[in-house]
Amino acid sequence: MAYTQSTSTTHPQSEDSIPFYPDHVRTEARVVAALIVAALAVGALGLAFPVGLGAPADPMETPAHVKPEWYFLALYQLLKFVPKTAGVLTPLLGLGLLMLWPFIDRRPDASPRVSRIRFATVGLFVVLLIALTLWGELS
Amino acid sequence: MTAIRRLPVLIGLTTLVILAAFLFLPFSTDVQSTEPGCEEPGLLDAGCETGRAEMSTLVAAVRAKAPPLPEKDTCLHCHLAGAETDLWTPLLRWALFGAAGLVFTYGVYRSASVWRTGTPWTPLTRRTAGWIDQRYHLSEPVAKILGKPVPRYALHWWYCLGGITAFLFVMQAVTGTMLAFYYKPTPEAAYASIQYIEAEVRFGTAVRAVHHWGSNGMIVLCLAHMLRVFIMGAYKAPRELNWVTGMLLLVLTLAFGFTGYLLPWDQRAFWATTVGTEIAGGVPVIGDLALVFLRGGWDVSGLTLSRFYGLHVLALPAATMALMGLHFLMVRRLGVARPV
Repeated sequence: MAYTQSTSTTHPQSEDSIPFYPDHVRTEARVVAALIVAALAVGALGLAFPVGLGAPADPMETPAHVKPEWYFLALYQLLKFVPKTAGVLTPLLGLGLLMLWPFIDRRPDASPRVSRIRFATVGLFVVLLIALTLWGELS
Repeated sequence: MTAIRRLPVLIGLTTLVILAAFLFLPFSTDVQSTEPGCEEPGLLDAGCETGRAEMSTLVAAVRAKAPPLPEKDTCLHCHLAGAETDLWTPLLRWALFGAAGLVFTYGVYRSASVWRTGTPWTPLTRRTAGWIDQRYHLSEPVAKILGKPVPRYALHWWYCLGGITAFLFVMQAVTGTMLAFYYKPTPEAAYASIQYIEAEVRFGTAVRAVHHWGSNGMIVLCLAHMLRVFIMGAYKAPRELNWVTGMLLLVLTLAFGFTGYLLPWDQRAFWATTVGTEIAGGVPVIGDLALVFLRGGWDVSGLTLSRFYGLHVLALPAATMALMGLHFLMVRRLGVARPV
């Protein structure tokens, strides 16, 4: 406490801010503690329900249903319906576009309405992604 | 002069050594007297756990494939029963008496210091901090970092998503290192080593579960953090490069998931990788090159496994840590974006 007071000349604490130390550090420490407890709980649950293993890998025998991890499932499902080249290029180009997005969308937000539009767009996209993933999971 | 000054410490340490010798003596004489049940030869893990007589065929198979356990297993039950002879008892004894010794030395030093100088005792933490500060002048920058104000608008839970992802990365590093102690990245041994982790390693199942679910959680939180930043428009100037490094980190996280998925070397892993690398092979122009680079040949083989392992435990963590460092530095420098 004396520590932050002595430093208040370099960083004047105003009404609309809190000191990083100790106030914010305390909050973060609580979050970390909660996460550690959660990790231990996952470990304890893991003792009861192990991740497990399938049959050993056999290059000679292709299983009936080959599925990637869930985070690639939407892409995998998409590839079933579009030509391979297009299906591979679309996510790659999308990723590139997304990476360069800050250089494309350069206008500062004028009002909260803009972020609401983005929220709706993202929401739609996420719903689509989830739907594709579920479809891939169930098919 | 200094010799006289250090005299109390020397006396304290000598006393401590003599005391320690006395304390250790009774233990070292009865080390040999153990319960017969825990020294049973033939059974690999010393037969401490009763009811192990009927082993499942799986465990038997794992044991046949897995490396033999060390002759003297460190058995927690045995230790609690007082029959442990190998590792834990001496370790515990050393920790206990070592800690007591440190406290004792500290007490002697502190008393002597107060008595000699006639001034109140300065806490060790402040002494250490002062010693370091005298040499490296760190108090000013540290005070600057710690005193930086956090705006109140940045105190909502959704600003935690990125931090939680970073925490999960550290957790993955720790549990991943634990798994790497036992995992063997060859097509002959990989599957059996995972079985060994699940069946034989103490808490191996738990560590593997944390690593498995942690990887899923990391991807979810990465995406959630990204969506939060996107929706709030926090990627806009001057934070363009924060966004770019963040996107690269997302790609790395997905690469972690993709390479890690192969390592158990079961049917699912093998064929998911076969299909996944085939998709990469569909990229125009560089497709074949990408496929051969990923697989280490035209087919998924032991070469694929070892290169995925190398990427998973060396290349990807190094790249992730470097980018995370940059990402954090930029966040720290620019602060949290003010929502409109």
